[in-house]
Amino acid sequence: MRLAKERKGQFIIIAAMLLSIMIVSVSTVIYGTVTYYRQERWEEYVTIVDSIKTASCNLLQIGLANYTQTLNPNVSRDYFNRWIRDVRNAYPGYGVDVNYDLASGIRSAYGIVPPMNYSLGLARKWNLQTSYVASNATVNINIASVGLTGYNFSSNVFLKMSIRGVEWHIGTGNWYVLMYVSVEREGLDPIISLQASNFAPVKLGGVPQNFTMKRYYSSTYKCFIYEIKVTSIVSLPSSANITLVDNRGIRTISYTENVQQL
Amino acid sequence: MEDLIAKSIRAKNRRSVKGQMRVVESIMAILIVISAVTFLYYFASAPSSQARDASELEKIGHNILHDIDEQGLLARYVYRSEWGNMTSALAVSLPINVYFSLSVYDMNNNPVNYPFLMQYGDEQVFSSSAAVASVTYIVPGYQTNYNPRILVLKLVNG
Repeated sequence: MRLAKERKGQFIIIAAMLLSIMIVSVSTVIYGTVTYYRQERWEEYVTIVDSIKTASCNLLQIGLANYTQTLNPNVSRDYFNRWIRDVRNAYPGYGVDVNYDLASGIRSAYGIVPPMNYSLGLARKWNLQTSYVASNATVNINIASVGLTGYNFSSNVFLKMSIRGVEWHIGTGNWYVLMYVSVEREGLDPIISLQASNFAPVKLGGVPQNFTMKRYYSSTYKCFIYEIKVTSIVSLPSSANITLVDNRGIRTISYTENVQQL
Repeated sequence: MEDLIAKSIRAKNRRSVKGQMRVVESIMAILIVISAVTFLYYFASAPSSQARDASELEKIGHNILHDIDEQGLLARYVYRSEWGNMTSALAVSLPINVYFSLSVYDMNNNPVNYPFLMQYGDEQVFSSSAAVASVTYIVPGYQTNYNPRILVLKLVNG
């Protein structure tokens, strides 16, 4: 009878022990989770692969920028040939071997119609209302010292400029032209960091013009628009021609004869 | 009457003993919980963020160079010789107590940033640190020109 009564009193100790077990168990799981990464050995080759991958993407960009400035169709191939030799020298002793495959032929991407026609990794369509340049390559990395073979990735660089509209406005003693331009890069991400200096020259009827520029989101075109304004235009321009060099040094040229009078 | 008083005293004593046992049990329960927490504090404490080994320093160094590169700043700093900006960018990006020395070489292993010293932390820190990491990062060129540069970033724990 007495023993039966006193068994009730051990509840607090049992509860405390259960609580302690729970604390220790939960803490062990949490500790294992937050320190899991420490058990994974950080191999040096991961940084090498990542470094080569980033640099190869940058190389494609540099090649495209050079191509749009010089129109040398072999530039990407030349750069990659030099690159695979220089990478071996940059990481001596690792057995780094880089191969590449430049895009060739017709490929559909970014909703461009007709599809882009690549040659030696480069594609270009200029002097249209929507103009673009693109570069595409597949790079293969092998690192013999760690047994890494066949690491492939594809990289592409793209710049597209569209003249959405050109309007010639007539006012009382105030004639001006407004041009609405949108600019996109790979992934069809809008480029919103351009300055007026990126758009020089702007030509109307083949004549370079001084202009002012502002950027805003247009609900009409449903995208970010660069509005280029040229004042003192006393007659309807026959055409509009805009050259863009983005902050990466990549150039594209758009052209339209579709000028509206308002 | 005496019987009644004696019974009452015995009952009171029993309750008193029972109450003392509750106190003892409570103390024991508290001790159990405290010992569990103390066990965790000593044996399962999270690693200190200040103590970094070489591989961790390597990760940090590579990630910082990669981030600066992604922002399009690394090539600009290197090819326009903006060594001061480069040093500042690294200094603000690295955690406290991590010091660095950065050298830039061309493909013939000639130092490009000479005589400018891109270093954060005095010589004593570099010579006394137990953990030292070296990260090699390659920049292929800038704007339209292919002209690779090799960045060698050495990191130490302060």
